[in-house]
This record gives sequence, C-alpha cells and structure tokens, in this order.
Amino acid sequence: MDAIDRILADFAPDGPLAEIRQQAAEQVRLHGMPSQRQEAWKYTSLAPLRDIAYRAATAADGDALDAAGFSAFALASASPHRVVLVNGRFRADLSTTDALPTGITVTSIAAALEGDAVALAGIYAEQSAPEAVFTALNAALLDDGLLIEAGPDAQLDAPLHLVFVAAGDTPLLRAPRVIVRAARNARLRIIEEYRGIEGDRGLTNVVTDVNLGEGAVLEHHRLQSEPDTCAQIGRVRATLGALSTFNSDSVTFGGALTRIDIEVALAARGARCRLNGLFATDGAQHVDHHTLIDHQVGDTHSEELYRGILDGRSRGVFNGKVVVRRDAQGITAKQASNNLLLSRQAEIDTKPELEIYADDVSCAHGATVGELDAQALFYLRSRGIDETTARALLTYAFAEKVVETIPLDSIRHAIEERFIGARALSELEDLVKGA
Amino acid sequence: MLEIKNLHAEVDGKPILRGIDLTVRPGETHAIMGPNGSGKSTLSHVLAGRDGYTVTEGSVSFNGKQLLDLEPEERAGEGVFLAFQYPVEIPGVNNVYMLKAALNGIRAYRGEKELSAVDFLKLVKSRVKAVGLDESLLNRPVNEGFSGGEKKRNEVFQMSVLEPRLAILDETDSGLDIDALKAVAEGVNALRDAARSFIVVTHYQRLLDYIVPDYVHVLSKGRIIKSGGKELALELEARGYDWLTSEAA
Repeated sequence: MDAIDRILADFAPDGPLAEIRQQAAEQVRLHGMPSQRQEAWKYTSLAPLRDIAYRAATAADGDALDAAGFSAFALASASPHRVVLVNGRFRADLSTTDALPTGITVTSIAAALEGDAVALAGIYAEQSAPEAVFTALNAALLDDGLLIEAGPDAQLDAPLHLVFVAAGDTPLLRAPRVIVRAARNARLRIIEEYRGIEGDRGLTNVVTDVNLGEGAVLEHHRLQSEPDTCAQIGRVRATLGALSTFNSDSVTFGGALTRIDIEVALAARGARCRLNGLFATDGAQHVDHHTLIDHQVGDTHSEELYRGILDGRSRGVFNGKVVVRRDAQGITAKQASNNLLLSRQAEIDTKPELEIYADDVSCAHGATVGELDAQALFYLRSRGIDETTARALLTYAFAEKVVETIPLDSIRHAIEERFIGARALSELEDLVKGA
Repeated sequence: MLEIKNLHAEVDGKPILRGIDLTVRPGETHAIMGPNGSGKSTLSHVLAGRDGYTVTEGSVSFNGKQLLDLEPEERAGEGVFLAFQYPVEIPGVNNVYMLKAALNGIRAYRGEKELSAVDFLKLVKSRVKAVGLDESLLNRPVNEGFSGGEKKRNEVFQMSVLEPRLAILDETDSGLDIDALKAVAEGVNALRDAARSFIVVTHYQRLLDYIVPDYVHVLSKGRIIKSGGKELALELEARGYDWLTSEAA
C-alpha cells in the first residue's frame, strides 16, 4: 500500500530494539503487501485500504481521548483489572491495575523499553519472528503495547480487561503488541476488546503473542467492536507447553475490514486448545478468520467451532487449517464452520484444510452454509411474534452454540443485545431458574 | 366467529382444497376428519397463514376481518392458534422466552401493555401446573429433545398461556399413547368455554372420546362431504371412510 511504503520510506528506528525493528521493516519492503494471488489472501482484497493516507500513530496520538470520552463506551466487562490503550498507546490514567494479584504484572512496552530494555529485547526477539508481512510491520513500528507476565501458580480473581480504542481524526496506522507469558500452572483470563470513536478510519495492526508454560491456562476472549469505518488486521500466536490449555473466543461485529489470524502450536504432550469464533456482519463489512492449529506432538487435542451470520452485502471468510505432524500420534482434532446467510447478496467462503502426517489420529471437520429455517420462522410467527423479532430470535439461536461456550456473562449480554436488542433473555432465564 | 366460504387452495399448482364451506360459532368445537391426503392439514395451515399455499378462490372471515389478508402473527393477534402436528424444535430459543415474546407480541397487537417479567412468570407457573408439563422444560430450548408427548403438551401449554379465541388442533393425537392423549385432552377441555372455539383435525375417532365435539365434518378430496353430530365420528370408527368417499364419488 502506498501509504505504508511512504511510512517505511523515511523509517529510522532507534532505541534498544532498533536492529530487530530495522530487520522487520526490511521484511515488509521485501515482500510488499499481500495480494489476492496469495492463497492466504485469496478471498480478502486489501484494495479498499490502498488509497487511504495512513500516518503511523505517535505517542501524542495516545492522548486523543479524554476520560469523559472513554467513559462513553459501554464495555463488555466491569472487571477491576482494566488496561486501556488509545491509538495503540498505554494510558495509565484510564487503567486500573492496583488490584492485580501477586505474581501477575502488566507493564507497558514503552515503559519496559525505558527500564530493562535488554530483557525486553530478548523476549521481543524470541516472540516476534515475523513470518507474515503485517506481523513484520507491527514489529517495525513497535508503538507500544503490553507485557503481561504471570508467575508460577499465579491466578486472576477477575478477568484482565484490555481495551483498545481507535480514536483518530485522520487515518492512523496503530501497531500495538501484546505479549502474554504464563509460567507453570498460572491461570489467566484476558478480554481484548476493540472499540473506536465514530468516524475513525484507521487501521489497527495488532499482534498478540502467547506463551504458556506447563499446566498453564489462558482463557482469551477477543471482541472486535470497532466502528464500521475501521480496518483491523490482527494476529494471535500461542505456543503451548505440556498440559497447558488455550481457549479462545473471537467475536467480531465491527470493522469495515477485519482479518484475524489465530495460530496455535500444540508443542508438548497434553496441550489442548479450543478456538471458537462468532461473526455477524452487515452492509459492506468483510471479516476473514484464518486459524492454524499445529499438532506438533502426540496426545494433543483441539476443538474448533466458528459461526458466521452474514447480512446485507457483507462477506465472510473462514479458513481453518489443522496440521498433524509425523509421529504426533493419539491426537484429536474437531472442527466445524457453520454459516447463516440472511441476504441473497451476502457471501461466505469457508474452507477446512487438514494436513495429516500421522496415522493414529481422530479428526473430524464439517462446514455448512444455510438460511433461517422457514418452519421455525412460521412456528414463531404463528405464536404472535412479528417477523423481525422472530428472525432476530432465530439468528440469536444460531449464535447461541458459540455464545454458550463463553463463560463470561458480560460478553454473553453484549452478544444478546446485539441480536435481540435487550438483556431480557438472561434476566428471564435467571428469573425462571430462581423461581 | 369463523366463516369459511368456498375455499380453494393449491400447493405447487396442485389443487388441495376444492371448495370448503364451514361456519364456527363462539364456544363450538368442530372435528374435521378424513383419510390421509384429504386436505385436513392444508386447511389448518391455510387458516394459520403458512407460506407455500395459494388460495385461488373463496374467503375466510374471522370476527369480521378477512383472515387471509393477515400475516401469521396478525392472525395470532386476532386470536387464532394452531397446535402443530409436528411442533418445531428450535435449538437456542428458550421455551419460556419465546412464549413471553409471543404473549407480548399479541398484547402489543391489541394495544395492551406488556406484562412484566414477574407477572408473566406467575401466569406461566399457574398454567404449567394446569396442563401437567414438566416445569424443567420451561427453561429448555423450544421442543428440543422433548418426547412426542412433551411436545404436544407444550403446544397445549402455549395455548393456555396465549388464550386464543379459536384454537386449531392439527392431528394433536398423532404419536401419543393413551395416557399422553388423555392428559393433552384434559388440558384442552380445561380451556373450553362459551367464547372459545376449537377446530380439532384428526384421522382417528379416538381423540374425540376425550375432546367431545359439537359437530363432525368429513373431508375428502378437498371438500366436506358429510357433516353431523358427534355420533358421526362413531360411525366412521365402525365403518371406515370408504362408504362415504365412494358415496361422494
């Protein structure tokens, strides 16, 4: 993209990570922006971004939003552990981390660079091998971000809620990085919520790197609720140690163009992951999820369920790749992609990809594309429910299969509100249970 | 209350109803009987407003309104209820939530205020006991994993909460053992009163032992070929449909 070429043209990184950043910039220059001729970008065109005059966000852009502006967002969780980044920059004044339990620390990467930069350089280099252009771009720009560390057996009492706010009056290129390192038997629950002010036309290019030690557990909830004028290219990479667990929900409602890659390396025996996703799009939105689950050794287990709901002229892409390496015996891998088309102009491209080099494996995958069930629709309407509400109920019902696996009421409520427009459902359920 | 005049309807260009005339007054229960393929279920569905049926002739007026001009939810608002032969399973939609949306939809149609969650729940609790539906089914997805009997009981339960003016029972007896049949019939009988009317569509006379009709009509090839009192059902039970259908032909 021209704008990104321009940003990199007069690029001269300094500081302790200058060398890593310079190398990353070289990668970007060498490979250039992906085109639809590349298999991984076959269904997603970046052409809409080409003519936007992006400017790399600076530290000053972090101050674009004041406390009053921030409080206008109805966030998906009211956890006491909140960390806010505005335009990719950590904002101490909007964050509350005092109550974090012993053994769990959250440091802004900007602050870490000013402190023990050598240690950070080590972590950063180890975590950041850029095998994709946008990940390299993120490494080159290195705005800021978060280093989240959990010591052995450390445990969160409430979710760690990360809020990324897009707030630019000109199109900004934001490149925050999140690094999560959980030591042996640590247990973390992290919400990554992406929001934006009305009219933001920027690009959020975010990378989350996860490293789980033996027996560690990370519940990772990703919620893309940026306005429909924003673009986001995100990548989550997780490396799992023995007996560790990575459960991920990726829920996408917002954004004009969203591309999310989630890559999990099941690198030691007993590691397991569950990747769930839900996207609901309308208008001309475009959402592309690529997942890669790499069963590197035997006795590793994965489960995956993605559901897409597409209305208007929107377009969805799901590409779920599962690799089972030679000698990775005794693994199980389940994958399902189900999609609901609410309009004739909406489109979904869904593709499971299995590469299996071992023989003692149990793998299952399936993909469906359908419309709302006409019989169910008539049943509801015959009971007195108007067509709009009946459609909303059935659409929510389709999403429910993913929603029910999200163990956070706050996120479930946000999803219910999106589809049914009210919190009535859970309240009534609670009432019935209580009565 | 309900006046069907010379109703013709077809599916995919194939005529199914070929001139139905039927008048149902408040408080009456009419049984519609007939062999398979006679058009019984089509009549139920046309009255409730299901897609896929083309009415080619005739009219249906309901309390002075042209029923066929209304959407299914508007018919429900006017007080029409169809108990399905095959109640639809709807995974992910909570049974009691659906019912609340239905009741409030009907109330909104009539210009009445929504019931609060608490008042609604009181109503539900009293009705669920009355029809003998297992209370744990309230908070489950609509009909999902219900037994045949539970599904039919759930239909009657919904009817008891929505309090229709005209209830159409489409082969409610199919797939039920005798105990479930009795229970469902009791639920229906409890709702009978001087203002509420029923159309009971059934293949067998058995159901009519428990829901005793005022009138019995025999449908064959899309027409009512004989009407009578409840004793007509007994005659059909003894003699089958052949003597009538051959007589009519």
